[in-house]
Amino acid sequence: MTKTQLRGVLQWTLGVWLVLVILGALFYAPSALGFKGESARIVFFHVPQAWVAVLAFCVNLVASLRYLRTRNPIDDARAAAAARLGLVFSVLATVTGSLFANVMWNSFWNWDPREVSIVILLLIYAAYFALREAIPDEERRASLSAAYAVLAFVTMPFLIFVVPRIYWSLHPDTIIGATGKLKLQMESRMLQVLLGSLVGFTGLFSWLYTLEVRLARVRLARRGREEA
Amino acid sequence: MRASTLLSESLAVLGKELTAELRSRVALNAVGLFGLTTLIAVAYQIGPYRIQEQDRPHLLAALLWVILFFAATSGLSRVFVKEEDAHTAKTLRLAARPLAVLAGKFLFNLILLASLYAFIVPLYCALMGYSVRGVPSLVLLLACGAVALSATSTIVAAIISRASGSTTLFAILSVPLVLPLLVMLIQGTRAAAGSAAVAAVLPALQGVVSLGGATLLISVYLFPVVWHD
Amino acid sequence: MPGPESMIWVAAVTVVIWLGVFAYCLALDRRVRRLEEEQ
Repeated sequence: MTKTQLRGVLQWTLGVWLVLVILGALFYAPSALGFKGESARIVFFHVPQAWVAVLAFCVNLVASLRYLRTRNPIDDARAAAAARLGLVFSVLATVTGSLFANVMWNSFWNWDPREVSIVILLLIYAAYFALREAIPDEERRASLSAAYAVLAFVTMPFLIFVVPRIYWSLHPDTIIGATGKLKLQMESRMLQVLLGSLVGFTGLFSWLYTLEVRLARVRLARRGREEA
Repeated sequence: MRASTLLSESLAVLGKELTAELRSRVALNAVGLFGLTTLIAVAYQIGPYRIQEQDRPHLLAALLWVILFFAATSGLSRVFVKEEDAHTAKTLRLAARPLAVLAGKFLFNLILLASLYAFIVPLYCALMGYSVRGVPSLVLLLACGAVALSATSTIVAAIISRASGSTTLFAILSVPLVLPLLVMLIQGTRAAAGSAAVAAVLPALQGVVSLGGATLLISVYLFPVVWHD
Repeated sequence: MPGPESMIWVAAVTVVIWLGVFAYCLALDRRVRRLEEEQ
């Protein structure tokens, strides 16, 4: 099978997969006990979005570190692509989280540590792009934004693990509880849909990311030829 | 091979910063003025009697750090931006090795913050009727907080000085990094005010120290990249 | 079992949104592939 054919198969699989995930989230998974109404089903989309936002951050970190080592513009393109997607998904995660909070506790925002963490991630992405916008020179833009990305990554463990320990959290203990241990308390059907959704969203991220990087590669190659 | 050691170069950079600052007093004035103005505004309007007893621990700790942080932001980015503005950056690059520049400017920011805290915190406690039970704990927390805040601000200042250098950009880049620190400091202040035992302030202290230490370590790696571009 | 009308409606809207996004991504993919082949 050629690369193009393989890509096509994967893409259509993803398309169908996510349709199944949507239907599963709305019909197959049982209504959650203790949660009001059906709106709690948004969790099947909220958790993967938050997960992808963090995944994008990790991809950005790796690309940034690589850029600092290799000074290859494609690594900068990779970092920017990951950050762009990370920004989109962290906005989505914040919005869906806020909607969920409104259903559960009748207020859109509660200053719960995990809520704050996803907003801080959003702010990091926004700051990353604000920095990039402020630098016209390409090489300097690449290295400074890479430096900021690495710096920001250093603070992440503190958000996720340290701050929640200090505060009581009203965020529902989903997969990772405040102790950091994996809690598989969900009903199996819910878990199936959640994991399916995680896989689906990761696939979507991976596709969009690869597309952006391929596009950047084409652009760089074209510019290389024009300069020659 | 340089004849001078890292320590002597760092101290030389620090000396230069202090001399320049004492001559013009721009950062000191900005920081002091912002701090004092905000403090007076808060103390006048709120004072020791207007907050309910049950709300006092939270509000007093939070307000203190709002004042301190707001005042600090106005002065912390100057260390690098003024070099770029005065075009003395290139000379500095030749004169001292990168780590010495980082160390000297970090220490300068630290002294600036320490002065701000020493000035504002006692005044705040007096004006707001903030009785702190664990004074040594608080002092320790303030010291560690100053180190952590200085560490973050210095590397961010270095980054933005090579971009547009504007204070707005400094604030945008600092906010996500400083927010967890701020949260821990407020929590720690509340704990220190409430209890004389060091154990109360320990969780927050651990968080602040590890965040500050991690930031310093990563700055050592990142600064040469940022400085030499 | 959720109220049939509302959930089916939500499902339909969500699926349509997703299929729209999916079609857009496919179009993008086709465009990038064409650009790569021109190299």
